[in-house]
Amino acid sequence: MSFLQALLYFFREALVNLLRSWKVGLLAVLTITVSLLVGGAFLLMSRNLAASVGQWQKEMRVVIYLRPDTGADELRRLAAEAGRPAWVAAVEPVTAEAARDRFTEIFPTLSDLVEGWEDEPLPASLEIRLGDFEPATLETWLAGWRRRPEVSMVDDDREWLRQVATAVAVVRGVGLALGAGLLAAAIFTIMSVIRLTAYLHHEEISIMRLVGATEFYIRGPFYAEGLLQGLLGGGLASAGLYGAYQLLHARSPGSLFTTVLAGTFLSWREIAFLILLGGGAGLLGAVASLRRESL
Amino acid sequence: MIQFFHVSKLYPGGQAALADVTFDIPRGQFVFLTGASGAGKTTLLRMIFREEVPSDGQIVVNGRNVSSIPQSKIPYLRRTIGVVFQDFRLIPRKTVFENVTYLPRILGFDLKNQKRLAYQALRRVGLAHRANAFPPELSGGEQQRVAIARALINEPEILIADEPTGNLDPDLSREILRLFLEVNLRGTTVLLATHDRDMIQRVGRRVLTLDHGRLAADQMLEGTDPPDLTETREDEGEPRPEAGSQAARDEDPEREPWREPEAAEPLAGRGDGAGEDAPP
Repeated sequence: MSFLQALLYFFREALVNLLRSWKVGLLAVLTITVSLLVGGAFLLMSRNLAASVGQWQKEMRVVIYLRPDTGADELRRLAAEAGRPAWVAAVEPVTAEAARDRFTEIFPTLSDLVEGWEDEPLPASLEIRLGDFEPATLETWLAGWRRRPEVSMVDDDREWLRQVATAVAVVRGVGLALGAGLLAAAIFTIMSVIRLTAYLHHEEISIMRLVGATEFYIRGPFYAEGLLQGLLGGGLASAGLYGAYQLLHARSPGSLFTTVLAGTFLSWREIAFLILLGGGAGLLGAVASLRRESL
Repeated sequence: MIQFFHVSKLYPGGQAALADVTFDIPRGQFVFLTGASGAGKTTLLRMIFREEVPSDGQIVVNGRNVSSIPQSKIPYLRRTIGVVFQDFRLIPRKTVFENVTYLPRILGFDLKNQKRLAYQALRRVGLAHRANAFPPELSGGEQQRVAIARALINEPEILIADEPTGNLDPDLSREILRLFLEVNLRGTTVLLATHDRDMIQRVGRRVLTLDHGRLAADQMLEGTDPPDLTETREDEGEPRPEAGSQAARDEDPEREPWREPEAAEPLAGRGDGAGEDAPP
């Protein structure tokens, strides 16, 4: 019997077995589905959150507030200086007048606050958009600006982004831990199911041995069964996750949760990973349950 | 064909199932193995297909030293031995066809050849029409005949039967016994364990008698009322080879797939009889 024929035989036997004892098999499939569904949900959230953080990082601004007495020439000179590094995407000099006008425009009801002052109440500033930067380089660069006498304050989004990145790591870690725990439970369930199946077929296995079946042919269908259960669980988990994703977008399309945590669905590669993870867990469970003494 | 050299078997606790058993069964012989319950018949049979390992002594089956055969080679040994048990040992959830063709199936025979082999084997036992039935749907005699068909599907060189008629009524027992005698006529060596002394007296042939694990007697008996093997069965019309002939088994070119590829030659390099690793 060729290897391909053997595989066909294994999977045919495994399918027949799954169909004949579907209740027990369903338990294993559902266990692995739940574990991969939870793991997949965390994967979805963490990848979307990470993508959002990446986007925010791209859109990160640095605002350098200058002293109130900064004149237009000096503002232009400082803007030109700020635009020198290659990783600075754009520098917009904002004069004190422009800052006041913008405030009035954005907060018309609070315009009284900035009207009637002898000097301009808001400082001139440099609004800097960043390209791809090295965090350490940026840090040094910003420290240099903070020390300069023309500068009153430097404001950037990095601290906030750092906190969001920490949140992403936490989500990822929790998802990984929860997913791994549930996957271990799923492997244990599959082990029990396969062991139970092997026990139920103990007589049959002894007959197989009697007529000259090798261990490879005796164990093969059980391995195939574990693999099928795992793949089925992975497939159901992916389908369930996609259903939940669609439902979420249909029910609350513009919510923060939808846009930030579930903006895009998993890639085909990630879906394949989930399904293969299920298959691997199933196979592992089958192999672990069919040690020599258990058959 | 089957050689035991001073074989002993001690079970844990020191209980001796077999003690210093020595005999030689040539190719094509029909042998009864008898003795009271607990005499060691089943243990002896199980040693031939390496279900049991002797505590002492050597067993050579078809040139292979079974006592020292590696674990991975045991399936290949078993493919050359047909085994029939008192309790049939059929897989209830598989059809008669699936039960009978298990070995051809795992050897990669296509469905057409599986069907051909199954038909031949089932026709020999008169059950070709029950191929699609499940074992629980069959009578005890029919189940035993299916078990015999399964044992015969690869035209084994040796057929071992452990109390094959123990659960059957006298008429069915006679029918099953007749089947074994027919199989033997085709050249298969048959070793049949039974405690039915009447059957042995009636049929005759060589008889090995065990008593408390020892070979108490090895004798040839003339049968008082041997079955008439010239009666017709479902395979009527097929020429029957002479007793002890290799013709029937050798004429099928597809017999070779049952053999272990690298061990098609006997382990000892001798075509017949004991191997080099067998005791002198």
